[in-house]
Amino acid sequence: MATKQITKLFAAMVLAGFASHSFAADTIKIGIAGPKTGPLTQYGDMQFAGAKMAIEQINAKGGVDGKKLEAVDYDDACDPKQAVAVANKVVNDGIKFVVGHLCSSSTQPASDIYEDEGIIMITPAATGPEITARGYKMIFRTIGLDSAQGPAAGNYIADHVKPKVVAVLHDKQQYGEGIASAVKKTLEDKGIKVAVFEGVNAGEKDYSSVIAKLKQANVDFVYYGGYHPELGLILRQAKEKGLNAKFMGPEGVGNESISQIAQGASEGLLVTLPKAFDADPENKALVDAFAAKKQDPTGPFVFPAYAAVEVIAGGIEQAKSEDPAKVAEAIHKGTFKTPTGNLKFDAKGDVEDFKFVVYEWHFGKPKTEVSPQ
Amino acid sequence: MPDIYHFFQMLVNGLNVGSTYALIAIGYTMVYGIIGMINFAHGEVYMIGSYIAFIAIAGLTMMGLDSVPLLLTAAFIASIVVTSAYGYSIERVAYRPLRGSNRLIPLISAIGMSIFLQNTVLLAQDSKDKSIPNLIPGGFTFGPGGASEVIVSYMQIVVFVVTFLAMLGLTLFISRSRMGRACRACAEDMKMANLLGINTNNVIALTFVIGAALAAVAAVLISVQYGVINPNAGFLVGLKAFTAAVLGGIGSIPGAMLGGLVLGVAEAFGADIFGDQYKDVVAFGLLVLVLLFRPTGILGRPEIEKV
Amino acid sequence: MTRNLKSALFSALLVWAVAYPVLGLKLTIVGINIEVHNTSPMILSVIAICSLLMFVRVLFNQQLSTAWKNSPSLPKVPAKATNFLTLPSTQRWIILGLVVVALVWPFYGSRGAVDIATLILIYVMLGLGLNIVVGLAGLLDLGYVGFYAVGAYTYALLSHYFGWSFWVCLPLAGMMTATFGLLLGFPVLRLRGDYLAIVTLGFGEIIRLFLRNLTDITGGPNGISNIPKPTLFGLSFDRTAAEGMQTFHEYFGIAYNSINKVIFLYLIALVLVLLVLFVINRLLRMPIGRAWEALREDEIACRALGLNPTVIKLSAFTLGATFAGFAGSFFAARQGLVTPESFTFLESAIILAIVVLGGMGSQLGVILAAVVMILLPEMMREFSEYRMLLFGALMVLMMIWRPQGLLPMQRPHLELRK
Repeated sequence: MATKQITKLFAAMVLAGFASHSFAADTIKIGIAGPKTGPLTQYGDMQFAGAKMAIEQINAKGGVDGKKLEAVDYDDACDPKQAVAVANKVVNDGIKFVVGHLCSSSTQPASDIYEDEGIIMITPAATGPEITARGYKMIFRTIGLDSAQGPAAGNYIADHVKPKVVAVLHDKQQYGEGIASAVKKTLEDKGIKVAVFEGVNAGEKDYSSVIAKLKQANVDFVYYGGYHPELGLILRQAKEKGLNAKFMGPEGVGNESISQIAQGASEGLLVTLPKAFDADPENKALVDAFAAKKQDPTGPFVFPAYAAVEVIAGGIEQAKSEDPAKVAEAIHKGTFKTPTGNLKFDAKGDVEDFKFVVYEWHFGKPKTEVSPQ
Repeated sequence: MPDIYHFFQMLVNGLNVGSTYALIAIGYTMVYGIIGMINFAHGEVYMIGSYIAFIAIAGLTMMGLDSVPLLLTAAFIASIVVTSAYGYSIERVAYRPLRGSNRLIPLISAIGMSIFLQNTVLLAQDSKDKSIPNLIPGGFTFGPGGASEVIVSYMQIVVFVVTFLAMLGLTLFISRSRMGRACRACAEDMKMANLLGINTNNVIALTFVIGAALAAVAAVLISVQYGVINPNAGFLVGLKAFTAAVLGGIGSIPGAMLGGLVLGVAEAFGADIFGDQYKDVVAFGLLVLVLLFRPTGILGRPEIEKV
Repeated sequence: MTRNLKSALFSALLVWAVAYPVLGLKLTIVGINIEVHNTSPMILSVIAICSLLMFVRVLFNQQLSTAWKNSPSLPKVPAKATNFLTLPSTQRWIILGLVVVALVWPFYGSRGAVDIATLILIYVMLGLGLNIVVGLAGLLDLGYVGFYAVGAYTYALLSHYFGWSFWVCLPLAGMMTATFGLLLGFPVLRLRGDYLAIVTLGFGEIIRLFLRNLTDITGGPNGISNIPKPTLFGLSFDRTAAEGMQTFHEYFGIAYNSINKVIFLYLIALVLVLLVLFVINRLLRMPIGRAWEALREDEIACRALGLNPTVIKLSAFTLGATFAGFAGSFFAARQGLVTPESFTFLESAIILAIVVLGGMGSQLGVILAAVVMILLPEMMREFSEYRMLLFGALMVLMMIWRPQGLLPMQRPHLELRK
């Protein structure tokens, strides 16, 4: 036992040596963890683009407390197993701040390790409520929860649209099913019956069966919980098959790609989005900066990822320290001005008061706000 | 009687999906029939075909040529040429050096090839979904309207016609032409065919090329009909088509055609009855059921035990 | 020469046909339309060089291959050494040596390395289990991941609903997957060859889809989270213990160090792997083990000798499933979370690749292959998005390089003197 202790002590000293080394360096390393391979790469790309842009712009302004930020990429392929490996590698690399992960399923096991090792993690994309529900101190997120967005959409449907027959679809993934269930619950609480509640297979092309079913049930309003590729296809096929219904979706569908995929069928789509983002005149310069790099700023995770980096930078500045524990405390206390609004975090690490606004989508024209909620 | 209309609508949709499965399934079944391996990279060949179709269509549209027949023809030709090249090269690089080894070796090589191709396209063409507008909008409507109507879009008719022509062409080629005879001879007995002066290497390469070309036909049809492509689409479609090939009796070309149609229709009705999320369960469940009662698929020849 | 020239031209054109449309042209989204643009001239010149090289290579195919033969070839592993390495008696010693190394090194390794090693051990366990089915009994199983999933969810569900501990659930998970193996195996094992492969693939997918769709029980796509880690006789390795429990560091009065948790998990995995190895090695010397291999070699002869193929196949299938169950419940414990997406077909393919790459039937081979297959993508993290591309290419190359597997299995045999 004694020798084991000595070796472990030795190992700890070596580790500590590495850690202090990274503190002494002139850069602050920020790990960005998300999928760079696998089927969810396109969402990962949004996160990497947003976070890197933020790091670049902060560095252009002189960095944080005179130190430059440095991005270190990690690919977890949205696989929980690899996420654990990535988290351990982050620990090994002595990185103290992480933006990511993307999928709730990979964020959760990774966050256990970050919390344990005292590393700050801010996810710009994982919306699963349980991630912040475990009393962790180092885990934050800059995106709204499924449980906040669902009721916002549900209330709007019940109060403003007042449809006759409602269908709620989802993509059988964490994000989509979470929001769809929340919408369904809100609608049923308000006394609106949901005629069809069904999951579709993400990644498929043919949704004719589900559309035929909606048509048979005379559905005139469809809420879809999920991302834009599937909804785009559904909109397109619904138009072809003569299904006359109004569609609505969460922020996962609310980006330019939906017009590209659904073409004319995207006209009139309702989307709940956090207030401001790319349409806000204040963010014009940022949108232009993305355009200059030929990147698309409209993806659902680009701005939250940008905001996550700003929160880390702001936290370090307000704590006047790079000690993650102190930074975490500062993040819990402070308010941070980001492109997604002034962010303030609650005790769980979620953004307080994350407001969703309902927009109406127009094909080839900018979206319009339909309800100030 | 809205139910009758609903039934026919599901049938049309099912046949539509099924015919594309059938086209891809032929690639699996022909390769299996000749060298007895499962070519897991076939789905990726299909995916590459869809990218080529989009490149051809987008390229011509940029040049100001937008007549639909021209676009479709160009997409077919470009896609068939390129995927044939892929089919040939994949066989040459990943499978030919492994001929004669244990039958699991090419299987693993195929899985590796599939990962490789998928990631090549992912890197070269980025991860975003690409889409084009509907080339052939509109369709025939039968029935009084509302819930009681059957819509057959023009595109669906194109799918049926092209699939039928491709199948007819393949059947004629296999049964009438010299090369087709050589293919059948190889499927029957490779060694004997070789002894009789058939260049078996060429025949094997040819089956890969034909399979890839038919996958390209399916790729153009599917990508024009649904209008969206991405680098991950190959795997799922490949798996379904493979299921269709086994369902019909792997190694049998009419079996692959029938298996594809049966699978497409079963999926459509299964999704209707059990919900869309159980569509794949229905597909695989059907496969298990059929194989339990007909262990070599619907049209497969019963295996003769050789001692 | 003209024939050579023709095929050389053809090959050069082929390079263009394969590379140019996918690599040289790029679809870009402009507004709501897509456009095609040329990529950088660099890529074009690379393609041109490749096609030129191909042209030369095919044109001078004969000269090159004779030159290749004459040139002093790479120092090959001498046949004797390979033979020696694959002898069962040597393998036993190597395994013993490996075990000693495996027991000692985690106390010196970093947290990340130990964690990867744990992952490798999970795959060793899976590989050894599948090796019984594919390598020894010769049944191609493409849905092995289904049993892995059943094992993982058994522990996850039991601990979620009843709060049962890992050590209670581990044998239960084994029993559960064995039952599944028996139930699924019974109807499908009369199928032959590749039909069996596709039906097992189907079953694997069906299990995953049910886990995903039965949201009320399995949590659907969210899976089940907060699965407790194993304890050492009731001592947990967390920073603070749950009620009524004690932590390891408090009990022994040492400072909390999170690496203890990782090492402990690693040691459990190692013990499980050793258990699996031991069981397989015993069984291989028993009539049932001999019968597996006999069945793989010749089913008809087996039947003629009065062996019951169904029973033999079922036993292999069930045992393989049981080990997957152990691996699954350990995986759930290590991860703390199970979701259906961890059990896709690709996972089956990786496990199968481990068995095939190892040299079918060879246990040391499986261990080595598991190390290669899991370590490769981890080591290639530096290549970032090129990681999986290289992984796929390496899978093809390894198959071409060593089609018989890294360390093929060898039976004890005598060779005639020449």
